[in-house]
Amino acid sequence: MFRMQKRGEMPKTKIVAIRILAIILALVAAAFIILLLKLNPVDVYIAMVKGAFGSVYRVKEVIIKTIPLVVTSLGIAIAFKMQFWNIGGEGQICMGAFLASYVALNYPDLPKPLLISIMILASIIGGGLWATVPAYFKAKWRTNETIITLMMNYIALKWIQYLQYGPWKDPKAMGFPKIPHFTDNAILPDLFGVHIGWVFALVLTVLIYIFLNYTKKGFEIAVLGESENTAAYAGINIKRTIITAIFLSGGLCGLTGMIQASALHNTLSVEVSGGVGFTAIITTWLSALKPFVIVIVSLLFAALVQGGSFIQTAFGIPQAAAQLLQGMILFFVLGSEFFIRYKLVWNKSFQSISKKE
Amino acid sequence: MKKTVSILLIMCMFLALALTGCGQEEKAPGENAEADNSAVKVGFVYVGPASDGGWTTSHDVARKQLENNLNIDTLYKESVPEGPECEKVINDLIDQGCNVIFSTSFGFMDYTLNAAKAHPDVKFMHCSGYMTNENMGAYFGRIYQARYLSGIAAGMKTKTDKIGYVAAYEIPEVLRGINAFTLGVRSVNPDATVHVKWTHTWIDAAKAKDAAVALLAEDCDVITQHQDAPGPQIAAEEKGVWSIGYNMDMKDVAPKAYITAPVWNWGPYYEKQVKAIMDGTWKAENYWGGMEDGIVDLAPLTENAPEGAKEAIEKVKAEIIDGSFKVFSGPIKGQAGEIRVAEGETLTDEELTSMDWFVEGVVGNPKQ
Amino acid sequence: MSYIAMKGITKIFGDVVANDNINLQVEAGEIHALLGENGAGKSTLVNMLSGIYSPDSGSIFIRDQEVKLTSPRAALELGIGMIHQHFKLVEIMTAQENIMLGQKNGIFLNKKAHAAKIKALSERFQLGVDPDKKVYDMSVGEKQTLEILKVLYRGADILILDEPTAVLTPQETEKLFKIVKKMKEEGCAVIFITHKMNEVMAIADRITVLRKGKTIQTLDKTTTSPKELAELMVGHPLDLSIDRVQVPQGEVTLQVKNINAKNVEGIEVLRNISFHIRSGEILGIAGIAGSGQKELCEAIAGLFPLESGDILFNNESLVGKSPREIITCGITMSFVPEDRLGMGLVASMDIVDNMILKSYQNDKGLFIDRKKAAEKAKKIVKKLDISTPGIHHPIRQLSGGNIQKVLLGRELDSDPKLLITAYPVRGLDINVSYKIYDLINEEKEKGVAILFVGEDLDVLLELCDRIMVLCNGEVTGIIDAAKTTKDELGLMMAGEKKQYLEGTEIV
Repeated sequence: MFRMQKRGEMPKTKIVAIRILAIILALVAAAFIILLLKLNPVDVYIAMVKGAFGSVYRVKEVIIKTIPLVVTSLGIAIAFKMQFWNIGGEGQICMGAFLASYVALNYPDLPKPLLISIMILASIIGGGLWATVPAYFKAKWRTNETIITLMMNYIALKWIQYLQYGPWKDPKAMGFPKIPHFTDNAILPDLFGVHIGWVFALVLTVLIYIFLNYTKKGFEIAVLGESENTAAYAGINIKRTIITAIFLSGGLCGLTGMIQASALHNTLSVEVSGGVGFTAIITTWLSALKPFVIVIVSLLFAALVQGGSFIQTAFGIPQAAAQLLQGMILFFVLGSEFFIRYKLVWNKSFQSISKKE
Repeated sequence: MKKTVSILLIMCMFLALALTGCGQEEKAPGENAEADNSAVKVGFVYVGPASDGGWTTSHDVARKQLENNLNIDTLYKESVPEGPECEKVINDLIDQGCNVIFSTSFGFMDYTLNAAKAHPDVKFMHCSGYMTNENMGAYFGRIYQARYLSGIAAGMKTKTDKIGYVAAYEIPEVLRGINAFTLGVRSVNPDATVHVKWTHTWIDAAKAKDAAVALLAEDCDVITQHQDAPGPQIAAEEKGVWSIGYNMDMKDVAPKAYITAPVWNWGPYYEKQVKAIMDGTWKAENYWGGMEDGIVDLAPLTENAPEGAKEAIEKVKAEIIDGSFKVFSGPIKGQAGEIRVAEGETLTDEELTSMDWFVEGVVGNPKQ
Repeated sequence: MSYIAMKGITKIFGDVVANDNINLQVEAGEIHALLGENGAGKSTLVNMLSGIYSPDSGSIFIRDQEVKLTSPRAALELGIGMIHQHFKLVEIMTAQENIMLGQKNGIFLNKKAHAAKIKALSERFQLGVDPDKKVYDMSVGEKQTLEILKVLYRGADILILDEPTAVLTPQETEKLFKIVKKMKEEGCAVIFITHKMNEVMAIADRITVLRKGKTIQTLDKTTTSPKELAELMVGHPLDLSIDRVQVPQGEVTLQVKNINAKNVEGIEVLRNISFHIRSGEILGIAGIAGSGQKELCEAIAGLFPLESGDILFNNESLVGKSPREIITCGITMSFVPEDRLGMGLVASMDIVDNMILKSYQNDKGLFIDRKKAAEKAKKIVKKLDISTPGIHHPIRQLSGGNIQKVLLGRELDSDPKLLITAYPVRGLDINVSYKIYDLINEEKEKGVAILFVGEDLDVLLELCDRIMVLCNGEVTGIIDAAKTTKDELGLMMAGEKKQYLEGTEIV
């Protein structure tokens, strides 16, 4: 009989060793699946790396995938720091994209810098207010934010769907449910071949790092996350802190919506969030809520997705199988976190004792 | 900090793998074409899984024919959403050496056009749309002709005089199909009505099946579909009534229900186009072929077909092929009984590709 | 044959050696006290004996058989039962239901047979447990007795008590000692963890002193003295008396008038409480844990809503003010809960960040100034001899006593006018405890009004000017510390009302 035993603090070298072991195990386990597909695992792994970093184009694609993950993860990190489990990133992305698109579609002829600035502001307000609803509920009535943020994702998604199929449908699309494209003025410019969202992501990483570590609000969020009692004791206005922090958290998610809609999709669609709100939870968690680590983890995650997509076409394997490989690698990496905190103990003495008696 | 270290290590591992891999250079199949730029390599963008047993499989069959008959490489990416992801997938395929792209869903049109403008040296073929460019052709088939024929079988088969039609989106392509089918039904059974349910998805087989179940509950006893996958066929089979498929011969899916299906045969057209590209004679065109080209057809009738259907269908089919019968020739009434096409008139292709109304006998709303 | 023998036990957590080659031997029919300061390794040692941790090296022998204890259940099967400070009882169940919970009884419970066995045990050890009484109706002492009965029922004949008297009144402590002595007569072995010298002298047969993870000495009670034990514990000679500093008392700083409060469940936790404190005075508060001490402290700090009554600070009402405003008035409250981290400190943060917890809002602008706080942290680390790898080390990784020093250091450093401190020496080393008393006296000399909530009656009697006794949310008396006895306090803690000082008659 096995039993979980909590570990004490572990030496760093051992932690690293466990993580490396996890990766090796992941690759070995995934190799069996690849063999089932009658392919050479080594070839596939090499192709995955090449698919992610093998050409300038691919690196750019990885960066494009990294941007929304970073911005959303930063937002989620703020909420998680306060132990507010915001799993409503999807919805907040949608609502940010929605307000930004409203501006883009209604004032298409504003000068580009002005239009984009208003869109950015609108998206932050959109995502922020959407997140403020569960925050207010929690502050006022101590409702469970996990459920409310999750449920509000579906409301937001359906709202976008409604717009896409109804009032905002492009009349020129001959009945096909799509929203008209933005004008060029509403589209984020490129810098060094990738849309300028990467600059946003990097600047925000620094800003959020400073915010969380060096500002009063950031300090209050950390205290509140640790213990509400302590926060009250220190004279922190708990309700206001919850709402401010979650507005920021949702605002960043909303900004992701604007970046995706403007730079990538050039319009609003139900695909705008594309699961980023959920993926970012994983990257945030793996990064231990540290802004600079978020950038690295997001980049690796994006590379995994891009590499997985590459092998799918390169080897003609079904999409499901490619996603299975990604999932397995992720599973082992996340699983290693468990073994860093716990160890399995073989309960031998328990049985020998029973026998004696 | 610990995490940073470990993540860097992960990265190193991947890079190490890459380097050792590079040493014993064996190119992944996806990269063969990079070495030989003169060769044609065709990339397909699919809206559903290649094994959906319907629309996407019909294209995948043609892709395999291309590989075998012309001895060229092809790549495909399945389950691509009809959004900006499409453009990214096209770019990926080009990055992996494709110089010909087929994108096979209506919703890919804008993104295919974007990609075409960005890659003037790559040839694009978009299925079922209307936009073209110097290096982007549009192609489709007059599947409505086959739908008309299948309508004849359905009209003869129904006992309740109610036929269910599971449809994806309110776009001209789908409306045209419903109208042609209904005209076929009412050419043999003027009392029958065709009941339409919208699913707003091409590929979600479960949603399509649910819609079919709802139609069956409304007393329909023949079900047909404008969906990629054969969900509605299964619903009919389970209820013990009849069904008409789409895209592929679906008799294996619902052996007791299935009567026939309007089917696609993309292979010959794809071969012709790619050969033209290889010869250097290719030009972007807007192709809309009919039964006479063989790009669309009706699948063989099964024993579930009503008596006399075969003869009736054969007769009309011959007339369609020799051009003596046009599906959308007047007189045709609209849903309210008003004359939409006068006696002696025939709808032009332009009118067909912008169709936004239903013929008399259709129960449903052609607009959202 | 020895009942328990632990030989060469070593346990390391990260960089900290909690137990270093410890030896312990306990005989049948013996009460063995484990004495040591906080962080000496007592808890770690007994946790290994009760199967919560496993040792990194060394062996454990039970009745001369070497064993590996991998879980509390395995330990219990060998007859080792541990009574923790926090009871593990289901409040809404009766005593009997709690005892039978988690037992392997097959599908159907044979209630009668169990009831008979419980009754027999209860009589044999003179526990006096009513098997049908619901746990929520029980006093702390009754709950503890029930915990003991629970492990006895499961067949334990080695009992480990982890600081059992911390939560008891003197009278309840007496009763516990009777039970423990009865167990000894029945041939059980009892390991008794404490840091209170008088208790050791009262019941222990032999005493093992631990210091800094090492066994210092095992002594016979008959051949030792409290002073010797304390010095062994600390490692150097000690003076064990507290001075009551005499300072002229000033104006009334805090005046509490007839306050009432209810908790979230709507139960009255403060009933008509009135008292005052003058500047330069220490008012002690005595009472069984959970008699309203926490609520009273929190009410003054603005953290607990009042139903009625008024709290005046320098003749200005505090009612309706936010905690922030009350902090700004110069009122500081430090409540050390059982886990030491519940309120007042942020476990994952370092000492510097904990220093600024109550002062950062005074910084100008958006940003936090950590420079001043770092200096303050260094000063406090030095002044209170806090052992930490550095001021930027998460306090979670410090030992309990050190964590507490951080809290008190910060509160004392804030130059308060009213200092509320609850259980400031809870679980602290003797050394540090006396240092804390000195610091409190220093504040008193500065003219600070002090509300001191304590658990050790000896300390209250020596340190305070007056003592207010709380029972069940009510004041049962306010008396002159110099003119009362422990027994009198004990009776008041149990609910017997005495006359107020200051002329007001008891209601």
